[in-house]
Formats: sequence, C-alpha cells, structure tokens
Amino acid sequence: MSEVLVQQIERLAAEHQAKCTQLRKGETTVEIDQTQVKGFVKRLVTETLARHLSTITGLDLGQNIGIIYHFWHEKNTIHVKTTVPKEKPTALSIVDIVPGAILYEMEIHDMFGVEFTGNPWMDRKLLLPDTWPEDLPPPLLKTVKPADIRKRLGLEVERK
Amino acid sequence: MSEEQGKPPRKEESAGLMKYSAENLVPFGPIHPALKEPEYFKLVLEGEKIVEVIPRIGYVHRGLEKAAESRPWVQNMYMFERTCGICSFVHSLTYGQAVEGLTIYEVPRRAKFIRTIVAELERIHSHLLWVGLMGHWAGFETLFMWVWRDREVVLDLVEAISGNRVHKSMNAFCGVRKDMPPGMEDRIVERMKFLADRANYYKQIIDTEETMLERTEGIGRISPDTAEALCAVGPMARYVGLRSDIRLNDPYAAYDEVPFDIVTRSEGDVHALLKLRLDEMIVSANIVSYAVQHLPDGPIRVKIPPIIPAGEHSSHSEAPRGEIFYYVKSSGGRTPERVKSRQPTMANLPTALEILKGQTIADVPVVLTAIDPCFGCMDRMSFLDIESSRQWTWSGEQLRQYGINHYFPGRAKKR
Repeated sequence: MSEVLVQQIERLAAEHQAKCTQLRKGETTVEIDQTQVKGFVKRLVTETLARHLSTITGLDLGQNIGIIYHFWHEKNTIHVKTTVPKEKPTALSIVDIVPGAILYEMEIHDMFGVEFTGNPWMDRKLLLPDTWPEDLPPPLLKTVKPADIRKRLGLEVERK
Repeated sequence: MSEEQGKPPRKEESAGLMKYSAENLVPFGPIHPALKEPEYFKLVLEGEKIVEVIPRIGYVHRGLEKAAESRPWVQNMYMFERTCGICSFVHSLTYGQAVEGLTIYEVPRRAKFIRTIVAELERIHSHLLWVGLMGHWAGFETLFMWVWRDREVVLDLVEAISGNRVHKSMNAFCGVRKDMPPGMEDRIVERMKFLADRANYYKQIIDTEETMLERTEGIGRISPDTAEALCAVGPMARYVGLRSDIRLNDPYAAYDEVPFDIVTRSEGDVHALLKLRLDEMIVSANIVSYAVQHLPDGPIRVKIPPIIPAGEHSSHSEAPRGEIFYYVKSSGGRTPERVKSRQPTMANLPTALEILKGQTIADVPVVLTAIDPCFGCMDRMSFLDIESSRQWTWSGEQLRQYGINHYFPGRAKKR
C-alpha cells in the first residue's frame, strides 16, 4: 500500500515539474512551484488516498516565505513544499479542494502575511487581536522581535 | 430583562420575513475566567435556526511558536507541555518525537511503555472530564458529579506515577524522566478494572436516561464524506465511521506492541460520540493494564547533547481530542529555527461549524461541547435582533437553562 502511494506521488510530482525526495521511510517531500500547488493538491486528494491535510506550516526563509502542506495517510506523510516571495506574498488558496484548510490559511495570513487568493475569509483575523496595528509586520517573521511588539502596543509595563 | 424579551423570535414568526430582516447575529463568547480556553463564535440566525457560524479564536494565543525560537530545545519541551491543561503529556511527547527524529538516538523500550501508560491515563482523564461536562450542559448534573468523582481515581494514579496531577513533566528527549514506582502494578490493574466497570455503567445510563437521550440523539449529524473533507480528527472522525486513529495507523511509543483495536461508530450523532468516548476509555484501560503487566526492564532514558543536528522533521500522535501535529526545523544550534504546533481543536473547528448549521440555539451548548473544545466561550453572549435593534444578553448559565427548558419545560432550576 505504502509503496503504491509513494509511486503515485512520484508520478504526480513528475507531471507537475516538482522534485520528489524520500527523506526517511514514510516521509515524502515534494518541492513544487507555487503556481503548480493547486493542481498538484487537487490530483493528490482525488487520485490518491492521501486526503487528510494535517496542517499548513509557514516558514521564514529570509528572501522568501515557505509554505508546507502536510498530508497524511496511514504510515505516510507527504510534505508539499513551496515558496512565495516576501515582497509579494500571495498564493492560491486550496479551500475549494480541501475545505478543512480554511483556518490553516487564515493562520498563515495572520502570522506571515501571506494572502491566499480564493479563501473567503481572508479579510478576517483569526489569531491576532482586532487592534493589531496595520503597519506592524506579521509577528512570526524573523525580523520581528517580541520586545518591539510589546513596546509598540504599549504593553511594556514599568516595574517599580 | 423579562423572560419574554429574552426569547429569540420563533421560527413561525419569522417565516414570512425570511432572509434579511429576520436574520439575527449572535456574538458568542469569548471570555470566562473559570473555563479553559476562550473562543468566540458569531452565530447568524434565521429565527431560531443557525445558518452560519463565524469563528474568532486567539484570545489566549500566547505566541508559543515565537517564544520557542529563542529558547533551548529542552526548555521548549516543558513549555509546549503547558499548551493545554488537560492533554499536556501528549504535547511534550509529540514535540519530543519530532526532535528525536533529528538525532541518531533511540528511545529505550521501557521508556516507550511508560509513555504509553501515561498517555492512556491522560486519555481516560480527558474523556471522563468531557463526559461530565456533557452531562452538565445537557442538564444531567448527577452524571457530572459521578464522573468527576471517578476522574479523581485517574488523577491519583497520574500523581503517584509522575508526581503531578496535570502537568506531568514526564518526558525527556529519548526517554522519560521518572521510572514507574515499584509495586504499582496491582493497584493500577485493579483501578483500571474499576474504571472500565464504571464506563460500562455510564453507557447503560446514557442509553436509558431520558435527559441524555432527548438532548443528544439525532443531534450533530454530519456525513463521513464531509467530515473527511473538513479534515476532522480523533473522535470527531471516528463517530461517523472513519477509521482514523494514529495509534493504529501510524504507531508511535509502544502502540505497535500492545494489542488493541480502535472504536468507531456509524450513527454520527452526539449520543454516538458519548458512547464512543466511553468505549475508548475501556480500550485505554485495557492498554494500561497490558502495558503495566508487560513492562520491559532496562534503562528509561538516553542522554543526548543539547545541540540538535540541522534538519527538519515532523511528528504526530493521537491526543484525547485527535491528531496533534508538530513540525520542527533545526539549523544546528541550541535553539530551534521553527516549531509549528497544531492542536486537534483547530482541526475540528471547521467540522463543528458545519455541524452547527441547521441546529437551534438550544443545541449550541451540547454541539459545541461535543467536539471537546477547550471551552471558554459559553459565558457573556449577547443577542442582537437586527430587525428591531433589540439587544439582550445571556450568561452561559442562562443559555444552559434555556437549552434545558427548551427540551424539558420547567425543569431547569436557578442555582
């Protein structure tokens, strides 16, 4: 079962010009261009058994923001990795294919500022407070220091 | 505010007006200091029927992922344990597994068994807590009292093993910090038998007690396909018949050495969820008994250096509420480059929103409890009727009584 799934993913990755590597047993990493993600995920959830999206991880990679979609089926985890440039962080939403992704995309939008086109709730906040200033950068970027945020939000309390 | 004013418009009254004029917006949440985790839901109502639910979480977001980037690997383990006050052990276990995957060291077999024992005790404790809350919100206070008394049995065992009732701090990288105390075996097996008997008794009760039947049967239905598409995890996937359990599908700790089978049900309502969680308690009790009797000898821990090699790894495990997921990335330093943690309530939230659609206000407490969320949202809700600009506020207790009165007029008493 597991070999069949890996072969299927390797074939799909090849069709989408993606690099497929097997780090450890049961862990497949697919590195794919951002424009191809939606098509790949669509075929992944319709043609293979790896239909469960565990979560989406955001990463600060310096120039880029990394997005990893973690899919899971039995003993196999499939990490679909892609990047978006930091200057223009937009990605295509996969909510119409995997409805369960809606909150994960909102989380990355809050924490990394990535705009997911097609997600109906992109105008709302999920985790950040409503009073979060517009000019403050998303908090999980490496350039943001917690002390600066506390200062900016007036949360720094002077101890007597 | 008089009771008449406090009632939302009834379905028949609003039938002619339909969509816009009769649509009420109910802000729902977020703060109650006594409860575990504040969440906020905006309920869009049509008469009494819920048509849409908009979630807003993050009220207790403490920025753990950001904090983890500036703390040593080991410290993070005990910090992530404090994510939750109920399923604390499984957080440190999953984070530990993710980090262990980056090293060359193996977890000793005895440590794996001890991890399994503590994780299953935690599951029993969490499920008991949930069954009690379910009784409370459905208006069956006696069940709450009984179940929470039995929960003390588990907490006493956890305290005897780890020294703490809730934050066990048992895990270390590649092992556990404390060995099982000697001479506990008989006591644990006897207590597990007691709890399994109690679970069987509660199953009888919820099958015959009118309150529970009325409040839970046929409530909270969802199709297996929808649940799968919404990426439901844990009991919320199993109660519609999906065989999704990481203990069985992708074994970690010592689950590949312990004989057990997962429980699934097909009815797909809250009543099935109750029975499912009680059945899971019996399975967990059997796993604990087996693991205690077959505990292997040997070391409980391998010491590893404080610097974790560069790389990335992810791990997941089955918490009482479902799949917990951790992703760690190391650049070869003393602190992580990135840690991602995803809790089961987050994964089950889209499913809960879907289930709530079509239910009435009276069912909100029961349905929201059903997903076993960390449940801070019940108090302080205000109602706004757009049509007449009428606004009224209910506390969580008033909502509970409204729900009980809806089903059993005159039964709810003021406390």
